[in-house]
Amino acid sequence: MEKQSDLGFHAYIRGIILIGFALLMLAFIITGNITYYIAPTMMPFIYFATGVFLLLGVIQIIRSTVKGQEEEQLCDCGTDHNVSGSPITKLLIYSIFVTPIILGFVLPDKLLDSSVAANRGIQYGSGILAEQTRNESTKEEASSRAEAFLNDPDAYYEQLETGSKANDEEHITVDEYYTEEGFNQYYEELAEEILTEDRIVVTEENYLDMMTMLDLQLERFIGKPIEIVGFVYREPEFEDDQLVVARFGMTCCVADASVYGTMVTTDEASQFENDTWVRVTGILDQTEFNDFRIPLIQLREIEIVEQPESPYVFPRFSF
Amino acid sequence: MNKRKQFFLSFGKDFLGFVLLLLFLILFFNIESFKNERAGFTVPDSWLNVNTIFLGIVIEAVPFILLGVFVSALIQIYVREEVIHRFLPKNAYAALLPAAVLGAIFPICECAIVPIVRRLVKKGMPLHVGVVFLVAAPILNPVVAASTFFAFRTDLTVLYARMGLAFVLSIIIGGILYLVFKNRDQLKWTKEELVGRQVVLATDTAPRKMNRLKQTFYHAADEFFLMGKYLILGAFIAALFQTFLDRSVLQAIGSNEWSSTAVMMAFAYLLSLCSEADAFVAASFGNTFTTGSLIAFLVYGPMIDLKNTIMLFAFFKARFVLIFIGVVTAIVFISVVLLQILSLI
Repeated sequence: MEKQSDLGFHAYIRGIILIGFALLMLAFIITGNITYYIAPTMMPFIYFATGVFLLLGVIQIIRSTVKGQEEEQLCDCGTDHNVSGSPITKLLIYSIFVTPIILGFVLPDKLLDSSVAANRGIQYGSGILAEQTRNESTKEEASSRAEAFLNDPDAYYEQLETGSKANDEEHITVDEYYTEEGFNQYYEELAEEILTEDRIVVTEENYLDMMTMLDLQLERFIGKPIEIVGFVYREPEFEDDQLVVARFGMTCCVADASVYGTMVTTDEASQFENDTWVRVTGILDQTEFNDFRIPLIQLREIEIVEQPESPYVFPRFSF
Repeated sequence: MNKRKQFFLSFGKDFLGFVLLLLFLILFFNIESFKNERAGFTVPDSWLNVNTIFLGIVIEAVPFILLGVFVSALIQIYVREEVIHRFLPKNAYAALLPAAVLGAIFPICECAIVPIVRRLVKKGMPLHVGVVFLVAAPILNPVVAASTFFAFRTDLTVLYARMGLAFVLSIIIGGILYLVFKNRDQLKWTKEELVGRQVVLATDTAPRKMNRLKQTFYHAADEFFLMGKYLILGAFIAALFQTFLDRSVLQAIGSNEWSSTAVMMAFAYLLSLCSEADAFVAASFGNTFTTGSLIAFLVYGPMIDLKNTIMLFAFFKARFVLIFIGVVTAIVFISVVLLQILSLI
C-alpha cells in the first residue's frame, strides 16, 4: 500500500515537471524568444514536443490519482515503473529536471556575442572557398558514392522533394539545386540578378546566400556598393583600421551556430566597440587574410543600429 | 496516530507538487519581467552563454528524445520477443548487414537511438545487432545526408565518405563486439526488473487488462525521466565546453593527418552536437583541418559523444561501454588515417 502511494506521488511530481516543460516551451514560443535557441526549421518539432509534454503531464496527473494507481497494478509489464534510490537521490534527480525550467524562465536570453565568436573562429564569406582545390579525387569517390546511394536512395529523394516548397519562387527546380551544377547555377542566376541592381543589399533573409555568392564570384562584384548589418568583431591580429561585421548563422540550435563575417577597413574602426550592431555601406573589394582571398568593404558610411529582432541568420533551404 | 502521520505526509507531498506548479505558473506569466529586470541579480556574460547553449541543446534534443521514448514504449507494448527472434538471421554475422540496412531506413538521430536500442536489446535483440543500429542509424539517414550535402556542397567527397564509412564501419564494429561479448547480457537489470521479468516470462499468456494506449503513455513518461536526466547533464557539460574551449587551441595541435584526426574526434565527442547539424560546424573548420579529419568528426560524433556516453553508462555494464567506446574510437581513427595515407580522401 505504501509503495503504491509512493508511485502515485512520483507520477504526480513528474506530471507537474512535464507541464513545467510545456509551459517553458510555450512561453518561449509566445514571446518569440525561441529564436535565441532554435532555428525556424526546427519549429515543428518544438510544437510537437510542447503538445506531447502537456499531454503526458496531464496523463501523469490522472495516473497519480487513487483510481489510476489501482488500475496500474494490473499492468503486466513488470518493468520500469519502479523508482529507485534514496530520498536524497530522488530529490537530486528531480532538481536536474527542474533546473532547466527555472533557468529558462529566470535568466535573460543571451545573444551569442563576440567572446563566443572568438572561441569558435570566424568565417569570412561562407567559408567554402578554401575547399575549391580539393575536387580532383572523383575516381576514388565512385565506390563510396555507390555505397551512399545504396543506403537509402528513396528516402533521400523523398527528403529532397519535401524541401521543394520553400524554393518554389526560384526559377530553378529543386532537383537541380541539389546537384553540384544546379548549386552553381543557382548562384550564377542570383549573381546575374544582383549585378543588374545598383547595390548589393545583404538582408537577414539572404545573408548566407550572399556570403556564398561573394565567395564563389567575388571578382565580378568588386567595385559594387554594398550594404550590410551585423555586429562588430575583431580578431587579435587585426590592424587598428580593421573590423568585421558578422552574424551568427544557426542551422538547428545555438550549439551549432557559426560566425560569418565580412571585413571592413576604416579609420574610424576604433570608435566601434565589439558587439555593437552597425549598418555598414561601402565599396566591395578583396584582400588576403591568413592566405585566403576574402571580401573586403571599403567603408563609406557606418551607423550604429538597434540589435535586429532576429539577430541570427538561418540557411535559406529547409529540410 | 500512524494514520495521522500518513495523512500529513501525503498532504505534504501534494502541497509540494502544488507549490511547484504554482511556481511554474508564476514564472510563466511573468517571464518578460524576470527576463528584463534580471530579477535583482547579475550573472556573468560567459555563464549566460553557457545557459543559452545549455537550453538550446536541451530544447533541441527534447523532441527527439520524446520520439525515441515513444518508439521504445511502442516496442515495449506491441512487439513480442518472438517477433524479433523470428526476423533475425540465425547466424550472428549474417545479422550484421540487415541491421545496418535497417539503421539506414529508420531516420533516428543519436538522442533517440539509445532508448530504442536499449529496449530492443531488452526484448531479446542480440547485443551486437543493437550496436550496429546504435552507430549506423544516427548517420545513415536522409536528413543527415541532406545537411551534409548543404554544408559540403563544393566537396561532395565528404558526404560520400561519411555515409560509406558509417555503413561499413558499423558492420565492422558490430562484428568486433560480437567477438568480444558473444551473446552475454551487457544490460544493467535492477532486481525489481529481473523479478518482474520472471513474472512476465512465466505468465506470458495472461490477458492484458490495462488499455495498451495508456500503457504506452505511461512507459513513455517513465522512460523520459529515465533518459532525460542524462541528457540534461550531458547538455550542460557540452555547453561548458562550447563556451570555454577556445577552438584555435585545437588548430594549433591538429597540424598533420594523425593529430588533426585525433583532435577532431575528441572535439566531436566533447561538443555532443546533433548529427543533423554537425556538418555545418565541421564545415566551419574547413580552412584549417584536413578533409579526412572533418570526416572523422562527422563519423565519430554521431556514433559516440559525451551525452550518449552518460546515457550508455546508465543502462549498460561499465565494461561494455568502455570496450564499445574503445572499439568505435580505434576503428574510426584507423580507417580515416588509412584512407588519408592512401589519399582516397
